[in-house]
Amino acid sequence: MQMPFRLDEHPRRGPQPLSGPPAGYFEQLPTRIMAQVAAPARRPGLAGLWQAPAYLRTGLASTLLLGTFAVSLWLGGATLAPSTAPTASLDGVPSAQLVEYLTSGETHVDMLDLAELPAHHLGLTKQYLQPSATELSAALDAQPAEEAGLL
Amino acid sequence: MEDHEILAKFHAPASRNLAFNQLVRKYQQKVYWHVRKMVIDHADADDLTQDVFVKVWKNLENFRQDAQLFTWIYRIATNECLSFLQSKRRRFFLPLNDVGAELAAKLEADPAVAGNEIELKLQRAILRLPDKQRLVFNLRYYDEMPYEQMAEVTGTSVGALKASYHHAARKIEEYVTKADNPGWSAGEAD
Repeated sequence: MQMPFRLDEHPRRGPQPLSGPPAGYFEQLPTRIMAQVAAPARRPGLAGLWQAPAYLRTGLASTLLLGTFAVSLWLGGATLAPSTAPTASLDGVPSAQLVEYLTSGETHVDMLDLAELPAHHLGLTKQYLQPSATELSAALDAQPAEEAGLL
Repeated sequence: MEDHEILAKFHAPASRNLAFNQLVRKYQQKVYWHVRKMVIDHADADDLTQDVFVKVWKNLENFRQDAQLFTWIYRIATNECLSFLQSKRRRFFLPLNDVGAELAAKLEADPAVAGNEIELKLQRAILRLPDKQRLVFNLRYYDEMPYEQMAEVTGTSVGALKASYHHAARKIEEYVTKADNPGWSAGEAD
């Protein structure tokens, strides 16, 4: 008859019944662990952020995204009305002074250049040049085509 | 270095890394073996041991000292082991005994156990226990941990722990007794 196995009669093999880890394992383990925990500590701001509660991180991320969107909208909106800003700043300058400046030798702008302003700036042209449509057309037609050979 | 000295140095930024290094050196073997006895495989135990100490680092600042430092570390290690074994089962959709079979195969490959027949039977018997019961058995039988401390580690009452250990011991004895019977095979003890 088999003797029943009794745990309290069995010689305990110490606290480690299995084979040990590789040689030097416990000498190296602290260094390996420190490499994991010490690296994030060099960037305390980010480390603190990761340790923040989930709701806080979500809120911060959402705020950042919305802020970025708002800034891009604002910057994009600022470029949509370029014609108003320059004209607003020019409102206080007398027309004669403007014309004198623009047709002075420094700017290399003459009457014809001013006459060729795009249609949405035509109001400006008319404001300080006061030319008639006929005078403008005649002045433009009198100019030689630079690429006449291609016509 | 005493635990309260380690904690004091840890709270000072200038000495934090040094304090933690000393904490790791003080408890690494206990943590490693606690984990290793549960997962058997050295590579898994290595990963889990590192995970345990990384968690200790992250949470030591908030350690309230309402328990001993080692008990608190042991609790983290215990939870990591149980989570690891649970996720192993869930990940591969394996029933309980297949993960057990995997652990048993690793056990039988272990040189410290493979050459000793009765020890192998004992270790096989321990592996057959449910994870939490196996944990209690290891803490009591191998670590000789007092039940009061075990209660802090596991979050279970002393009475429940004593009952759990008693049942575990009986199961192990039955299994090894049957395994000693000539003509018995490993699957018969169910």
